[in-house]
Amino acid sequence: MTATSPTQDAPSDARPRKRDTRRRRKLHLGVNITAIVFCVIWTFPVYWMVNTAFKSRPEVMTATPIFFSQHPTLANFIAAFKQSSFLLDLRNSVIVVSGAVVLSIVVGAFAAAALSRFHFRGRRTIMVLILAVQMLPGTALLIPTFLVFNSLNLLGTYFGLILAYVASVLPFSIWVMRGFFVAIPYEIEEAAMVDGAGTWRILRSILFPLVIPGVIATSIFAFITAWNEYLVAYTFMKDQSMYTLPIWLASFSNPQTGTDFGGQMAASVLFSLPVVVFFLLIQRKLVAGMSAGAVKG
Amino acid sequence: MSPSTVPVASGETMAAAESPRQPGAPRSGPKRKRNFAPLWLLSPAALVLLTITVAPIVLLVFLSLTNYDQKSLFTGEFAEVGLGQYSSIFTDPEFLRSLVRTVLFATALVAGSVAIGMGISQLLTRLGTVMRYVVTIVLIFAWAVPTVASSLVWDWLFQPGYGVVNWLLTQTHLFGDLTDVDWAQDPVLAYLAIWLLIVWQAVPFIGLTLNAAQTQVPEEYFEAARLDGASEWGIYWRVTIHFLKPTLLLVTILSVIWDFNVFNQIWLVSHGGPNNATATLGIWTYKTAFIGFHLGEGAAIAVVTTVLLMIFTAYYIRNLVRSGEEL
Repeated sequence: MTATSPTQDAPSDARPRKRDTRRRRKLHLGVNITAIVFCVIWTFPVYWMVNTAFKSRPEVMTATPIFFSQHPTLANFIAAFKQSSFLLDLRNSVIVVSGAVVLSIVVGAFAAAALSRFHFRGRRTIMVLILAVQMLPGTALLIPTFLVFNSLNLLGTYFGLILAYVASVLPFSIWVMRGFFVAIPYEIEEAAMVDGAGTWRILRSILFPLVIPGVIATSIFAFITAWNEYLVAYTFMKDQSMYTLPIWLASFSNPQTGTDFGGQMAASVLFSLPVVVFFLLIQRKLVAGMSAGAVKG
Repeated sequence: MSPSTVPVASGETMAAAESPRQPGAPRSGPKRKRNFAPLWLLSPAALVLLTITVAPIVLLVFLSLTNYDQKSLFTGEFAEVGLGQYSSIFTDPEFLRSLVRTVLFATALVAGSVAIGMGISQLLTRLGTVMRYVVTIVLIFAWAVPTVASSLVWDWLFQPGYGVVNWLLTQTHLFGDLTDVDWAQDPVLAYLAIWLLIVWQAVPFIGLTLNAAQTQVPEEYFEAARLDGASEWGIYWRVTIHFLKPTLLLVTILSVIWDFNVFNQIWLVSHGGPNNATATLGIWTYKTAFIGFHLGEGAAIAVVTTVLLMIFTAYYIRNLVRSGEEL
């Protein structure tokens, strides 16, 4: 293949290529139209969320929906910020999410190092168990955890929710970080061993620094998971002052008095914003990480 | 079969290194003396996972053998009822209905999202740089919106009276005046709305993952197929699908597991209603355990669900191990 030179290629291909071009162009147009239709459909829900968020109340509830607001306003956002519950719940979310991320990343990084840089009996079993744990249905873990936390008075506390989030984030973090550890060539480690570095020294001065990009990516995955979590928080945090943002967001829904959709969509935009930014930042790693780390192992 | 021959090879050496019969087999890493490092490196994670996942699962199984309920939460009193909860579940027609619902709905979700995901993956390979970039960004946006937010957006999109979807459907004049249709209150429409929501959000991951695998297929195979005069369809079925198979299988199994467990979207859009029409196993477990506070019964349903899921999980893990992934 590589041996064929372009000059050899050109004459033999010349005729079929011309006929091809017209067919290709037609195909090309079809493909692009499909892509545009797809984009319109897939963007629409996001567009409608943002669009509604910037509408004033009378513009939200109209018999004919308004696709482009004539008087875009920040009122819904300002109202959200003015709600005392928003800032309080934001604080709750930040505390719980950062606690869960830090704990699972630190604990997970050590485990990932052990499962990638060492060979010992039972390693495969541990890896498989970690993967299996991750697949457990959320409601299955919720029931016993609820009871244990109830008897330990951890329900409705930051620490309890952090622990519950670590349970769901840790297995996944170990898998993803392990992928990054595996990528480090053994030669580097070998050279350090020849120079007389011990296990801890190698970990601290060589492996951990090299895996920092992976740690950052994994932290973002963990952040997103914990930030978005609804079910556990909804079940555990019954005191309104301990709500996290997803609960705050859902509490806009009120079938009795009618939901303030403008407010809810503005809140949804605010809530989604950090996640969307992170997704865009790590989009490459996301696919690679999901398919190589979490999905493929 | 597998396009990645390297991992297969390394997987085999690994298996050899770990088998006790060949202590001197080559390792892919530097030789080490008996080292306790992995033990202390693993112990924090092991401690955490044992206390917050393994122990609760054991407790869950125990709970499922009791009649633990709301009263027990306050008094701490409950009785062991053996397999009583299980026999009452299995004789409850609602269980069977819920199971059938879950299986059918998960199947519809997996089929829809994998099919559209495959289409998008293929579409991405055909687009120019700019359009590919645009589609990727659109996919990432749909993927990124948190499920709580997207469920609430759905609630708004499908709102009776002022919802934009009803308005758009009415404008097509195909189904008459749909302005006041309440999607969440109609069993079929509730499923349809939730299906659209979950598929909308699942397609980006599936499409992008498949596309990542698809771009790894060596160009020579397509060229060879084209030289042989294969049609575009022929090339897709014979060449692309062949190379995509491992990834496709993985994405499908993962989707099965995820879609079987869907909770937020159903809960926030229809609350399992109307009249339990959209109460899948997850919703039913939650309602039993945390609304009726029959924790014992809820635990039994959860155990059954977990066992069912374990079939897929085992298949998924076996596949991973088989595909030679270095474990």
